Order: sequence, then structure tokens, then C-alpha cells
Amino acid sequence: MNFLLDLAIVTVSCLALGLTSKYLRQASIPAYIIAGIILGKSGFDLISSDASYDFISWLGKIGVILLLFYIGLEFNYKGIKEPRRLFAGCTDFAVNFSVGFLLGLVIGLSLLEAFILASAVYISSSAIVISSLIENKRLIYPEAETVVWLMVFEDIILAILLVVLTSVMAGSLAMIPVSLVATLLLIVFILALIRRLSNFISPLFERDDEIPILLIFALIFGFSALAYLMGILLHCHISEVIVAFFLGSALSGVKSFRKLFGTIISFKNLFLTIFFFSFGMMFQLQFATLNSADFIIALLALIILSILGKFVSGAIIGKRLHGSLETGLRVGAYTTPRGEFSVVLIMIVMEIGVLELLPSIELLLSLVVAYVIILSITGSFFAKHGDKIGKAMMVVVNKLMPQAHR
Amino acid sequence: MRISELPEIGTKYEIESPKGDKVAVIFLRTGEIELYVLESDADKPSVTRLTSEEARRIGSVLTGALLTIEHEDVEVSFSEISDLRIHIHVCPITKSVVGKSIEDLAIRKKTGVTVVAISRKGQSIISPPPETVFEEGDLIVAIGERAQINACQDVILGQG
Repeated sequence: MNFLLDLAIVTVSCLALGLTSKYLRQASIPAYIIAGIILGKSGFDLISSDASYDFISWLGKIGVILLLFYIGLEFNYKGIKEPRRLFAGCTDFAVNFSVGFLLGLVIGLSLLEAFILASAVYISSSAIVISSLIENKRLIYPEAETVVWLMVFEDIILAILLVVLTSVMAGSLAMIPVSLVATLLLIVFILALIRRLSNFISPLFERDDEIPILLIFALIFGFSALAYLMGILLHCHISEVIVAFFLGSALSGVKSFRKLFGTIISFKNLFLTIFFFSFGMMFQLQFATLNSADFIIALLALIILSILGKFVSGAIIGKRLHGSLETGLRVGAYTTPRGEFSVVLIMIVMEIGVLELLPSIELLLSLVVAYVIILSITGSFFAKHGDKIGKAMMVVVNKLMPQAHR
Repeated sequence: MRISELPEIGTKYEIESPKGDKVAVIFLRTGEIELYVLESDADKPSVTRLTSEEARRIGSVLTGALLTIEHEDVEVSFSEISDLRIHIHVCPITKSVVGKSIEDLAIRKKTGVTVVAISRKGQSIISPPPETVFEEGDLIVAIGERAQINACQDVILGQG
């Protein structure tokens, strides 16, 4: 057992594939997952021991917690209450969640599994979407704002989906309300406590030494541990990831906290990269599943329908908010990439999932992994060429129904 | 001017000219600033990314803080105090004043101009004392009204 050697494998391989993806101007998320798949259990199995696998998974878990913490920090609940933004968010959810859910049922998943698939398919990748908006110089256009707020709305839905999913998988039906209530109480407790202590902790964040970052991690791990202990006490599961999200949104109200954003982003980026690797490395490729015709058909249907879904919701949003179908199609193209959230969702389900509730978990997992890898790559392409795709689709639309858009 | 929050990106300030051209300034979370210009009939915007230092310089030009630059004459105004404008003038000394001090020449008394700095062989003397003696090759940095500066050049330094 040599953690150093294993950490070298993780960081060097991620660095190499990450750099390659940046040179190719591609999203780096699939690169890290693929690095994990190649070097992990279903590939060369280079990680030296089970202890190392656990260790790397733990580092990755910190990445997930930090990701949700960061999203909580950025979360702007005041802005999202605006009716236009709510309309856009709800449309996006209604269309794209239904696509995943219905398709899940058609390919024979259970209700709960279809729900998980729908969650993973619905949610776009904020990281890819936002960086491609900046890189492709779209920020001056009004639809950029719409897209960014869609991402914020999706964050709320993600939080809700996580609460629901962790509660549902609490075990017995009777435990669901217990788990829900416990989670909500803990959230209220955190929000109230941080607000109460705001004057006391605010000066601590202004210090120039190690205290601010130590305080952040103490709060994150402290409350995560509290969630874990409450879960054990009540025989249910309270998601520490949700706790991190609300802790972040509570801390964003503390005045001096802005200063620490850069530091948190650095930590988040590092550990999240390890998370993508660890996700890939634990993934046991089932070649039999992957090669079956049913699987390929299901995957293709999922890819095509979910891309179409984003274009349909985009078109509705564009028509309503910007009075232009073409703008809507661009919104659709920009929101096509899926990535980190889908992976986080499926990872959390895998971790706490009660296997009796998930009869086709192998199929579900393979489907989501393949889906995310493909859609993060094709999605970035769509996002990059959003304006051209919008234009091309308008040509087609005008040919099909010339009178509709005069 | 429209100000809007772009979560996870930064803050956008946007203005549209009567012609329909758009200019947007986006303060990114990273501390850098993006300047967008989109002409009304253009397909794509022009974008440049600035450091905060570069943005400050452009900003001060746009607010008119640096009004005129002709030869070595700079007029500085302040956005806070709108009617205060200061001419800063840089001029080489003539042979006739070499060896004389600021006090000897009574620059302040005769013309109202204040010498704020002397540049000597690449080194600068900020706020030189009155007894400072001019040497050959010195550059004088002086402030005063335009008329005063002109008088100083004519009367003391003997150049037009």
C-alpha cells in the first residue's frame, strides 16, 4: 500500500488527459472520468490496493461536498424569484425531466430508477455551459442571462432532487418522512446558527493566516458529521452534500466571506478532478451490457431525445422571453452539455442506494456513465457552435412552415 | 445603463447607443474585466479581456481625467471634483538657468508656477526644496494654470 504512488498515478494521468482536452478545446470532465476508467478497476487496475481505492474515493467525496458548498455560495435566491426566470426554469424541468423519466420506464427501469435517470438527464453541466458562454463571447447577448439563470434554477432543483432521493432511499416507507423532516430541521438549524453567529465569525474570515480556511473546513466537516450522526441515530440517511449546499448559501450572507472565494474554488477544482477520476475508477465496465443491442438502442434514444428535449424547452423559453425562436434554439444549444451534476447524482445514489429498490442498477449506471461522457463532449460542441446551429435550424424551420414566423 | 448579475460569472454593465451599437463591461469573478463591443449589424462582438489596471487606465481616459496630451503637457481632472483641472507641464531647462536655484529664479513668485519635480539623469527629485540648483539636462515638471505655465516658459526659462 503506497498512497504516494497512487496519488501520483491519479494526478499525473488527470494532468495529462486534462491538458490534452484543453488543447483540443474540449470539456475536461469526460477526460478525468476516462482516466479513471482506464487506470481503475475495469481498466489496468493500477491502483495498488483496496485501501488506496477507498482513500481516493474519500478525496473525491470532499470534491463533491465542496462543489455543492460552492454552488450554495453562488446561489442567489432573490434573483431567481423573478417570474421570467421561474418560467424558464420550470419549462426546462418539465420538458427534460419528462423525457428521461418516460424513456426510463420504456426501457424497463423501476419507477425510482426512472426518476434517477430523469434527474441525471435533466440537469445540464453549469461548468461546461458557463465556460463556453465566456469562451465563445456570448455574454453580451440577452440569452446569456437567461441561460445563466437556468443554471441557477437547476441548482435548486438539484438540491430538491437530492433531498428527495436520499429520503426515499432511507429504507422503509415509514422512514421517508422522518428523513425529510430531519434534513429540513438540520437545514433550518444551520441557516439560523450562521446568521446568529455572523458577527462573531465575520472577523475571523478577515484574518490573513490559516484560520479562515480552517474555519471553513471545520464548518463543512462539522455539519457533515452532524448530518451523519443524526442519520445513524434516526436510522435514516441525511445527505451531507445537501448540508454543504445550505452551509454555503448561509455563509454567502457573511460580509467578509467574498475574499475566500478564490481559495475555495481552487480546493473545489482539485478535489472535484479527483472525484471524476474516482468515479471512473470504481466503475466496473460490463462489456456484456455495453455490447448488447438493447443497451445501445436505449443509449442512442436517450442521447437523441434528451438533446431534442433541450432544444424544445429552449425554443419555448426563447419564444416567450425573447420573442424569437432562433434565440430559443441557441438557448437549447448552450444548455445541451451534461456533466458534473449527473455524475454527482448517480454517485450519491450508488453510495446510499438500497439495492432491493434498484433492480437494474447496473444498467442504469452504465447508461448514465456512457451518457455523460458522450453528452459532455457533444454538448460542448453544441454550446460552442450555438449561433450556427440556431441559424441552421431556423433555415429548416422556415422551409418546413414558411408562414409560421413571418 | 443596465446592470445585471450573472451568477457564477460576475456583473454585467450594458449600454446601447441610439444607433443600436452595444457596449458591455463584465466584471468577472476572477477580477479580470471583459469589454464587449457589438455593432448593431455585426454578427459577432469584439471582446477584449483586461486586467484591473488596464481597465482603470481606459476608464480614466473615458471619464476625461486625462484630457489633453500635447507634447509633454498633460491636463489632469478629477471625477470627484468636476471643476478642478491641473496642467502638468514637462520642459527642459535652458543653458541660461543652469547653476541657478528655484529660489534664485523666484519661479513661484514671478509666475505662480510650482515646480513639483525635477528629472535628472533618469532619477527624479520629487518636490524639490527651493535651494535646489538646476543642472544641465534637467527636466522640470511643473503645475499651474495654462497662462502661468506659458509665462514661466517665456519669462524664466526663456523659451517659447
